[in-house]
Amino acid sequence: MEETKKMTRKDKKEIRNRLKHLRSGKLEKRDARKGYIFMIPWFIGAAVFMAYPLGASLWYSLNNIRNTPQGLVYTFQKFGNFTQILLSDPDFLVQLVDYITSTILSVPIIVVFALIIAMMLNMKIKGKGFFRLIFFLPVIIVSGPILGMLTEEGAGSVSAIDMNAITSAISGVLPSMLADPISDLFNNMITTLWYSGVQILIFLSGLQKIDKSMYEAAKIDGGSGWECFWKITLPNIKSLILLNVVYTVIFISSNSTNPIIGLIQTSMVSGTKEKGYGYAAAMAWLYTVVVLLIVGLFALLLMTRKGAYEKQVKRAKKAQKREARDRKKIERRNVRNAKRIERQRAQGKITSRTTSREDY
Amino acid sequence: MKKKILALTLACLMLVGILAGCGEDGGSGGYEGATTVSNEYEEVEINGYKYKKATDMTTEEITLSVHSFDQKEVDELLAQRFMEIYPNIKVSVSYAAVGDDYTNALAAMVQNGTTPDVIMYSDADYALSNGLLLDISGYWNSDNETKNLADTVNDAQLGTFHLEGGQRYGVPFKFFPGIILIDRNVLKTLNLPIPNQNWTWSEMVDIIKNATGHTDVDGMKYYGLGVYNRLDSYYGIAAGQQYIGEFGFNGKTFDLSAWAVGEQEFSDLKLGGYVAPARETQENEDWTGDWELWFGQTGHVAVFSEAFWTFQSSWNAPAFLEANPGLDIVPYVIPAVSEADADAGHHSIATIDYGGVSSGTKYPREAYELLKFLSFGVDGWHTRNEIFADVNNTNASGVPLKNDVMPVPITKDEGIWDEYINNVYCAGMDDEHKQLWRDYFASCMQPISFGWTNIAGYWNFCDEYFNKIGIHDIVDQGRGMAADYKDEAQRNADYYHAKAMVDYFGPNSLYNVMSEDETAFYQQIVDEFEGK
Repeated sequence: MEETKKMTRKDKKEIRNRLKHLRSGKLEKRDARKGYIFMIPWFIGAAVFMAYPLGASLWYSLNNIRNTPQGLVYTFQKFGNFTQILLSDPDFLVQLVDYITSTILSVPIIVVFALIIAMMLNMKIKGKGFFRLIFFLPVIIVSGPILGMLTEEGAGSVSAIDMNAITSAISGVLPSMLADPISDLFNNMITTLWYSGVQILIFLSGLQKIDKSMYEAAKIDGGSGWECFWKITLPNIKSLILLNVVYTVIFISSNSTNPIIGLIQTSMVSGTKEKGYGYAAAMAWLYTVVVLLIVGLFALLLMTRKGAYEKQVKRAKKAQKREARDRKKIERRNVRNAKRIERQRAQGKITSRTTSREDY
Repeated sequence: MKKKILALTLACLMLVGILAGCGEDGGSGGYEGATTVSNEYEEVEINGYKYKKATDMTTEEITLSVHSFDQKEVDELLAQRFMEIYPNIKVSVSYAAVGDDYTNALAAMVQNGTTPDVIMYSDADYALSNGLLLDISGYWNSDNETKNLADTVNDAQLGTFHLEGGQRYGVPFKFFPGIILIDRNVLKTLNLPIPNQNWTWSEMVDIIKNATGHTDVDGMKYYGLGVYNRLDSYYGIAAGQQYIGEFGFNGKTFDLSAWAVGEQEFSDLKLGGYVAPARETQENEDWTGDWELWFGQTGHVAVFSEAFWTFQSSWNAPAFLEANPGLDIVPYVIPAVSEADADAGHHSIATIDYGGVSSGTKYPREAYELLKFLSFGVDGWHTRNEIFADVNNTNASGVPLKNDVMPVPITKDEGIWDEYINNVYCAGMDDEHKQLWRDYFASCMQPISFGWTNIAGYWNFCDEYFNKIGIHDIVDQGRGMAADYKDEAQRNADYYHAKAMVDYFGPNSLYNVMSEDETAFYQQIVDEFEGK
């Protein structure tokens, strides 16, 4: 320490020069440069197609904008667009509340359905590939216009279900704020389930990665299928559940059939002077905040909750640690006692004949 | 080394591409060229017809662009002919279906700096609030052809937005006159009198009522009215010559008295069971035995408030005629409410889509000439007649363009009308029917537009007030009377219109063309409504 204090500037410079020689070689530098070059397209893409539009839309949201042939005409509004949306645009708030309730209700249904189908597709069945194709097909088919046409034809609901009976039953029990979205969910049950194609694939990939020997070991120990699901399958794909939930929320939120997206688009090309690009951008930002809150809510629920298996493992580890600590404590005491006896013997306080077991 | 050079070149190209994409297009420029039409032409003969080539147009090589929701194939053929007349002008046509797709595409083009030189508009509010349209009154007022259009185009100032300064921002691009169609066979079967072209509103309602309730030998019921367009929209214009827009618009303010009467009468007809069930309803299946069957095919409906194009696209289409031989559908002008108006000729509501010259065009004179050729111009209409007369000219679905959504000439030029009736519209009809159509066309030439294309603020009024409350549904279902909403709706209509006029044309607007008095008039209405 004292030596460092005594070091002069000259010494430091010399050390730096020496360190220079120790720095990465040419090959390493070239590799690093290549890495950056490969990343440049992403940076350009992110800057042009993400950062710039994000910044521009934020700026738009603070302005009233007219889209004239001579260019965009901006009138700075501060937070005028936001206050107008929140205070005098009942459509947006109504749609937003509907969106929040329907998303919170439909996301768990979609994810659970995807998990069940993924588990079934993971079984040893004939024509597995064909069934996988069938369940993935809606991902390709369910684009805005086609979905709209199918829904118009009544393909979005299960015709065998008596919707009137369900709606009246739900309305009798729940307040309309909750009853309406639940009824809508039943009305569009098929459409909702069609949204699960990608989630099924993600779950399937997770299920295929689980080591089969774990199931074999569990079976040997007498574990039932139900126990295997809760103690092996679910803990292993837990991280994928969160991934699928986030994916589902984003998918539902950015789907072209989403009424709020429609509302934002309509506002964008509205003839009302107060509306236009700025107003639509403010709507989009408010909507984004709500979507992020929903994602955060689901993340909070799924990230903090630990599985039963993990709890057991943690408990067992704690017990092992406690045992090890006790063992060490006993060992230390034995050593201390042995030393004490040795000392007493050397002082002649005890003879070997009088040594009894209690001394230890 | 070679690879490095290649990589560098590609990187440079990409960068240039990005920068070029971000750059402003120099499309919008100052207004150049003539500000009036000289009416001097030289003749260019194509297919035996002598086209008038304007001599006050540029001789430079230029490109003009058009964005329309007209028939795509027709616009492309018209553009082709225009380029034959003016070989130095290249015309590019872009098309989108009317509605959000069209407006979104137009908004994107405007934002990209590629605003088309000629645009169609259905929703006037979007075009005006963004200053898309150029004042073309200089061209319009000096052009001889504009004097020979349907009377109301100039008298009721269609396309002007009723500014005191006489500015004009639009011209009628596609004209579909209002029409009432009658199945004569139904009237004959039920022994009801066949009306003449000077019929009145009450005569029409009598026919509707008298035709309803009868049954044929198979027990199938007859209905008086098959509805596409609402009768209250018709009534609001047919009620008096003073109305030059929907909801009793007089050029400045609204008077919903006539609308309220028409709305209530229409509701009474609906609730009274005089209106035939719509397709894909249980009532329709109970009546016809077929969920899908359109009432126009049944031969059991007397009067139709169908759109003008339905006759050619359905009733007069060869396949339809073959499948439904028992119909005799004939046209009538929308009847006037008063007998005096019915005898003298009167205003009737019509579907008119408008077009204008973009305020960003570099070549307004040339763009105006192209707009005229595509919309009301005599030469353009001669070409249209040529296109429609040839059944080999079909749309993407293989339907002849005549049976697609064919409009009507808004010019009064006799040559064009003879071509249109003889070669196009009535081709293949017998003399009696040809005469009926000729009489109809003569009586429908005082059209008044639906509001959203021609009255500033009307679209917003409907979107944010009238349709949001659902007044039509409330009255139709008998949950309220039209008269209950008349005063409040009138105040709102006046407010939305006045606010739009101030916003679009007032002192702080993009156009800024209103006089102080005019601004004060509209501002007062706005202030009173907002309680200032």
